[in-house]
Amino acid sequence: MKQLFHSVSLISEKCIGCTKCLMNCPVEAIRVKNGKAVIYNEKCIDCGECIKICPYGAHVAVKDSLDDLSKYKKKVVIPSVTLYSQFGSKVLPCDVNEALLKLGFDEVFDITFACDIAAEILKKDIENVVKPAISTLCPTVIRLIETAYPSLISHLVKILTPIEISAFLIREKYQKQGLKNEDIGVFFLTPCPSWVTKIKELSNNENIKINGAIPISDIYSKMLKYIKHRDTNVNYYISKTGLLWSYSGGQCKAIDVENSISVDGIKNVIKVLNDVETGRLDDIDYIEVLACSNGCVGGLLLVENPYNAERITKMIINKIDFTYKVFDFNNIKNKLINNKDREDKTLKLSSDFKSAVEMIKNMNNIINMLPGTDCGLCGSPSCKAFAEDVAKGLACIEDCKFISNGGKKDES
Amino acid sequence: MLMEELLSVKYDVISGDFIRGGEASSNLKKLLNQLGIRSDVVKRICVACYEAEMNIVIHSVGGYIQAKIYNDRIEIIAYDNGPGIPDIELAMQEGYSTASEIAREMGFGGGMGLPNIKRSSDEFYITSEVGKYTKLKIIIYFD
Repeated sequence: MKQLFHSVSLISEKCIGCTKCLMNCPVEAIRVKNGKAVIYNEKCIDCGECIKICPYGAHVAVKDSLDDLSKYKKKVVIPSVTLYSQFGSKVLPCDVNEALLKLGFDEVFDITFACDIAAEILKKDIENVVKPAISTLCPTVIRLIETAYPSLISHLVKILTPIEISAFLIREKYQKQGLKNEDIGVFFLTPCPSWVTKIKELSNNENIKINGAIPISDIYSKMLKYIKHRDTNVNYYISKTGLLWSYSGGQCKAIDVENSISVDGIKNVIKVLNDVETGRLDDIDYIEVLACSNGCVGGLLLVENPYNAERITKMIINKIDFTYKVFDFNNIKNKLINNKDREDKTLKLSSDFKSAVEMIKNMNNIINMLPGTDCGLCGSPSCKAFAEDVAKGLACIEDCKFISNGGKKDES
Repeated sequence: MLMEELLSVKYDVISGDFIRGGEASSNLKKLLNQLGIRSDVVKRICVACYEAEMNIVIHSVGGYIQAKIYNDRIEIIAYDNGPGIPDIELAMQEGYSTASEIAREMGFGGGMGLPNIKRSSDEFYITSEVGKYTKLKIIIYFD
């Protein structure tokens, strides 16, 4: 099996084998084996909940750095829209961009331009997929759908995200100017680990390749040195509708689709996806789904708290009176659509139907022996997950403390 | 169809329990994903099972959902212990509903339940006796 890259990973030496991450993983991707947490890569969706909860700093986000910036002739940075909410409401996007240039980039690409393009295409795109259309902005949500809700793949919109659109436009622009693609370094300033993983997946597509995802929290203190508090209305082109994409609900507002809902926080996302699957939400046109609380401003690799970041964004938006008028993009529109079929990545018990059925039966028998207390001492997050692990040969029944102590369930 | 039943699971459904209503279809869906059933088929099963489950929650005194898995199909039995349907033909009409005001406000009981189940299934049978029971049998083929 192909080794899957995940940004969310573990420093084994720091792990003391407590069960905090085990019990908090929304997709039951963690086990504790021999006193250390282990992440099952096929299940992990890079939401970062384990990083947030671990008191020992054992869960970390693997990330890129700016060390090899000098490798490229042209160095372009795509800041996440959330970056503009990290320095208070008095620091305007133009000042933030200026600070970025001082860090050694040749150009700061205006991601709000890509947001406005995405919004324009998205308005029509939601008609081309199964209703309700589901947003693809959050890589964690996409992975969740691919691994646990494959029937909802047909609901995912096809338009690329603003980050991918930005990379495409940058590469197209500089290649037209005569630069070789490998000489163009494109870096994304990310609010979350899931984008670190996502850009690795994109790396085999030369047109939208991003060379590194740098956590905003890593670059923050370096930027602070260069940030000026001008608070003057500098005439600077950044789009107010583009900035909306940073917090939950903003995307729906940007595309102006009223019959829509915005869902944030991974547990809420799971609840709503369950409802979509039962057909209960078929009347809705569009669902904005974001894994972090309050959307991308809730990203783990940001500095400001999500709710204050939303306020700051809104205050900045009030100071701006500019939106890109996006038309005449028909010549590139087809390149901004993802036509590749998304893969069903659900974990099947077996490729053979009959042996899968046998494993389910076996699991049900094991469940009946277990206490049902979901204590986690066996190293699996619940008795049900443990039964599955035993049936798959990943755990042995004696790992259950209840059973190894001779416990028997009451037959009453 | 004499093929033997491979697996059977049963979920109790409690009358009026909107909080837990939907658990049967949610659990069944996870099971079908693990078995490797095609996702578009899972979606149809999920819709049919959920509607049947919510019918028991909203309209009945309680009952159960039983899913029997065969080599080529799933059979879902949705059984409740009453009050039963006096006029099945009428109940099968789109838009016909006896749901309470509260249930309707929550988006349930729009009179689409039974027609929706029928639409999602390959074979659909309904029997009922007033004061005794309602039983749905839903068959969906895997291929």
